[in-house]
Amino acid sequence: MPKQIAIYGKGGIGKSSTASNVAAACADEGYRVTIIGCDPKSDSSITLLRGRRIPTIMDLMREGEDIKEEDIVFSGYKGVKCVEIGGPEPGIGCAGRGIIVAIGLLRKISTAIEDTDLVIYDVPGDIVCGGFVAPVKKGLVNEAYVLTSGEYMPLYAANNICKGLSRLEMTLNGVICNSRGAPNEEKIVSEFAKEIGSQLLAFIPKDVLVQTCERDGFSVIEKAPDSAIAGVYRKLAKAIMAEKSAKIAVPLSDARLRELTRI
Amino acid sequence: MPVKQKEPLIMHPRPSSIVAALYTLRDLDTDVVILHGPPGCSFKHARLLEEDGMRVVTTSLDESGFVFGGHDALVEVLEKVIKRFNPKRIGIVGTCASMIIGEELHEAVMDVQPDVPVIEVEVHAGYRDNTKGVIIALESALASGIISETEFERQKSLLKEATMVEKRHGAASKEYLEPSRGDLKYKVAERLIELIKNGKKGINILNAKKETAFMFADINLAVAQVAEKMGKSSNIINMANLDEKLGLPKNRRNAREVKDDLEKAGMRIHHVIGGLDEYPIAGITASQIIGEKYTDFDFAVITGVPHALPMDNLKDMELFSITNGPRQVVPLKEMGHKHVVVEIDLHPKTLGVNHIVESEFGATLRELAKDA
Ligand SMILES: Nc1ncnc2c1ncn2[C@@H]1O[C@H](COP(=O)(O)OP(=O)(O)OP(=O)(O)O)[C@@H](O)[C@H]1O
Ligand code: SF4
Ligand SMILES: [Mg+2]
Repeated sequence: MPKQIAIYGKGGIGKSSTASNVAAACADEGYRVTIIGCDPKSDSSITLLRGRRIPTIMDLMREGEDIKEEDIVFSGYKGVKCVEIGGPEPGIGCAGRGIIVAIGLLRKISTAIEDTDLVIYDVPGDIVCGGFVAPVKKGLVNEAYVLTSGEYMPLYAANNICKGLSRLEMTLNGVICNSRGAPNEEKIVSEFAKEIGSQLLAFIPKDVLVQTCERDGFSVIEKAPDSAIAGVYRKLAKAIMAEKSAKIAVPLSDARLRELTRI
Repeated sequence: MPVKQKEPLIMHPRPSSIVAALYTLRDLDTDVVILHGPPGCSFKHARLLEEDGMRVVTTSLDESGFVFGGHDALVEVLEKVIKRFNPKRIGIVGTCASMIIGEELHEAVMDVQPDVPVIEVEVHAGYRDNTKGVIIALESALASGIISETEFERQKSLLKEATMVEKRHGAASKEYLEPSRGDLKYKVAERLIELIKNGKKGINILNAKKETAFMFADINLAVAQVAEKMGKSSNIINMANLDEKLGLPKNRRNAREVKDDLEKAGMRIHHVIGGLDEYPIAGITASQIIGEKYTDFDFAVITGVPHALPMDNLKDMELFSITNGPRQVVPLKEMGHKHVVVEIDLHPKTLGVNHIVESEFGATLRELAKDA
């Protein structure tokens, strides 16, 4: 069975860029990787496809077409399989239902989430409804990670996600710090990880390379393989692929969170 | 922007997949079904199914259930159902509301851990063909070992045929179908009696969907009785899809019950053309037999699903069709059926029965034959 992971975290914190860089780093290591974009804005795989936007499952379903695997699974950097679920414009329809339907179709017509070593579900920042946890509820996710910076609001979101995961009886496999340049960040996130019963897997510094590569349609792994930040993503990829213990996270009280970020 | 559809839009309301799933669970001898959704969902059929001895309850999701999810409600109802009814087989059926918000029926089952089989049917009413509801229910029954792979495949191919029948000449054949009450029963009965009396040769076919046979068979029986009364029995050939060895448990039972009643009333069935769930294909069998043996016959009476009979071997005969669908009249007339009679509200009267029930058209035939 492949490792099936989802990376959760506050909106805009860096989940998609982390996911695509980890995907690229794992592909470099020779792993077969599949990335499933579960965000209606379908921006999970662009940097693995040199800036190309692929048709989304929901777009094709809407056209009423008879969808085949090759219409929705695209090969990106070093053979990473890229799938975008897509969905409606903000404020219209029901994106959550879209995810449920699309996952069902994907399982039926494609082996991309079984015949592989690593599946990454890239979910949007806010799990607004049942649909967004469909991959977890359908048993398609066996490892969950939380991405956060050391600031209060992202940590607050991370803590809430831990609550959600424990409600679903889903274990947490690690915390990743994506730095926003706040003081003492690594220490704060590391302490947070420890207190909820998990561990800090990587500290990703803020680096403008991430954004410039992204703008040109690349991961840093592909465009700047020798950069320091590429090294950080590689290390994170190794940590994710390694076997490690996972426990159900114990969320902190809000008071404790505030105190923690005051360090 | 309207959603583009591969197939053309159909505007008239049609049977629901949720309801189709409910009837399928009944055919599988399910004791209690929990509808996970709003209290009024599928109300009319839920009520009717109680006549057949299957209980239907609802988790009664309301506005706050839609917003906050209905997991707890489902667990509660499942527990209550087990306590109150002590069922041997339970079904849980989804609805649009619960499926859109992503309810996992299985989660509640895992929480409660009932020690009887639970058939979980993740269905909503948004499928183009209501047979989808049957297929999902059967898939789940297959997964829980309640039906065999062979039966499942058999059912699936029948359903595919049923869908095709509706597309060709049935409820899914047109963008909009006008409902109609059909031709006047006594006029049609008069003409039919005239033909029988004049010694014309006729084929008397029952091709009914499942339990509707309880009433449709009454019409075929009336035809046979009228012919008998006029000493013309030898001119009439009877066919019926009453094979008691085919189909889900309830369908087999019903086939036997209808057949027993017909035989007791002295009607001989010359050709059994299939099982009660074979109405989409039994018509083809009937047509073949007609092509081989009865091409020179003058008229045919077809009850149940007349539009499933190919026209090739019937087109030179005067056709008398009896349907229970007001929207079936127009397509039947277009196919070339001269007389189309509607037995309105037939289905409800065939639930909870195990003997033939009197039909209006059957009664009309018997009455008019008295002084013919
Ligand atoms: N380590 C980093 N250094 C610099 N910029 C970063 C870093 N990580 C992410 N970014 C930038 O932050 C922005 C938001 O990142 P991204 O889209 O990955 O966030 P997200 O968590 O997926 O957002 P959403 O919740 O909306 O899906 C992007 O422009 C990305 O390039
Ligand atoms: S819309 Fe769907 S869930 Fe609501 S009542 Fe109708 S069939 Fe039931
Ligand atoms: Mg993202």
